Amino acid sequence: MSIATTDPATITIRMPVAPVADVAGAPAFVLDAPLPGRKIGLRTDLAWRSWQLIAGLWAESLRGAGAEPVEIMTAAQVGKEGTHDRENIDAWSDQIDAGIVGLGTCGSCTSFSVHDAVTLESHRKPSIVVVASEFETHARNMARFLGHPDLKVLVLPYPLEARPEDELRTIASDYYPQALSLLGGHE
Amino acid sequence: MTETLTTERREVSADTEALYELSLEGRWGDGVPLLAATDDRVLARLSATEYPPDYVVGVRPPMHGGATVELVASNATMAGCEPKAFPLVLAALEAILAPEFNAFGLTTTTSSVFPMLIANGPCRDELQIDYRAGCMGGAAGRGSMTIGRAVSLCLRNIGGQRAGETSRTVFGQPSRFGLCFGEWEERSPWPSLAARQGYRTDENVVSVHGGKGTFPLADINNDDPRDLLYLIAKSLAFPLSNMFLGGTGENGEVVIAINPIWADRFAVPFPGIESLQQFLWEHAWQPIDLWPAANQEILRGKERVDDQGRVHLGRRPDQFIPVVCGGLGSLHAVALPSFGESQLQSARAVAP
Repeated sequence: MSIATTDPATITIRMPVAPVADVAGAPAFVLDAPLPGRKIGLRTDLAWRSWQLIAGLWAESLRGAGAEPVEIMTAAQVGKEGTHDRENIDAWSDQIDAGIVGLGTCGSCTSFSVHDAVTLESHRKPSIVVVASEFETHARNMARFLGHPDLKVLVLPYPLEARPEDELRTIASDYYPQALSLLGGHE
Repeated sequence: MTETLTTERREVSADTEALYELSLEGRWGDGVPLLAATDDRVLARLSATEYPPDYVVGVRPPMHGGATVELVASNATMAGCEPKAFPLVLAALEAILAPEFNAFGLTTTTSSVFPMLIANGPCRDELQIDYRAGCMGGAAGRGSMTIGRAVSLCLRNIGGQRAGETSRTVFGQPSRFGLCFGEWEERSPWPSLAARQGYRTDENVVSVHGGKGTFPLADINNDDPRDLLYLIAKSLAFPLSNMFLGGTGENGEVVIAINPIWADRFAVPFPGIESLQQFLWEHAWQPIDLWPAANQEILRGKERVDDQGRVHLGRRPDQFIPVVCGGLGSLHAVALPSFGESQLQSARAVAP
């Protein structure tokens, strides 16, 4: 078998890199509605206590604004627990009007946060994914790879873990308006 | 035949050093010199499989690149894989794509985890996959050194996994260059790993395990095999294991590479592999008061503490996966601790 070349000092090789699919991104939905009476989902993760605290405070704020927070916690990525979690996220997506999904503060938890936010969007429910700043680029990359390049990303300070509770409470308070703004909910 | 190939062609210098430089510049190498994926070499690999070049083995995370057989063949060529080893590379990629392996999480995590390949069957000798002395590094069998590398290159070039970018791994590990070793089935007193997954002993099978690294264990003091296995179990249950981070302990596995001399000793009190796994599971725990108070609260919150104050590493004996391999010098075992959110998968290599 011969190698087709134009110059004996050259060879022709096959490039080993897969082309990145050029597909149109899915739309990102916006709530654009007053909060009272709306069911707003809050997805937390068993791993991240900082986010559990912040999401809990946001749930209180949402309740105070007349919305109904619907909280859900995930615990696993695979196995029976992981399957159960993904089924629950799917069912939760049908129950709510919009959702806040976190937390991305590690590689795989960012990937799965984006995954679950994309599940919401695929149910045509507005969603935002919440990540710590170190994982913002990763979250945006994962959203793009999953076909949702415009997925809304709320970026919190990094690191969140090991911060004193009063700092986390301040962060929760400071970033709540941004979360609502990205989601499109009006107080 | 060349017309059957459809991937991008590029004319490059025939000088091997120039090709190496090009791979570094183009970021499609792994930092080590590689073979040129010329058409004749790629076609030679393709002739070793029944799959057509445009067959998509799967869509590989994190970037969801389509792994056509042709692209895999180009990467296998660059890695130096023999054509007859190509079906094993394809099988490994198929196993990695099984949902329960969780390639989506593995390829993007901060963890060092990477698919570690364990081969069973006649391919071990045919392809020079190391399973005796130095099987996890140093023996330098062509199969061991190139099959794992081929899979690694596919994850990089087809999946788009790159440390610090799409992969958030903090440290990585040497196995990210590729790790492939075999089981010394003939010296195992128990059914092989592949046989335990339901495969025949004459089939070539590759298992992929999401391992965080090679964790060495050594002993010269224990004459009683039960005492020795007890200490192995305790060592597996190290306090910062990923398997203690998980919710219930349902997920994750640990592969335990046992040398043939120790395997013979263990087989006396544990003639069945299930009894060995049961013993490992029963003793792979730590007392809750080993951990600081804050950790204790978290473990209790996850209901990981039993009524006797023990925190078991796993929930089931089958999360402990013994594999017999290594040299006859005895004295050592190696644990391959899990990322936690991943389950070992196996696939049979199919040759024409």
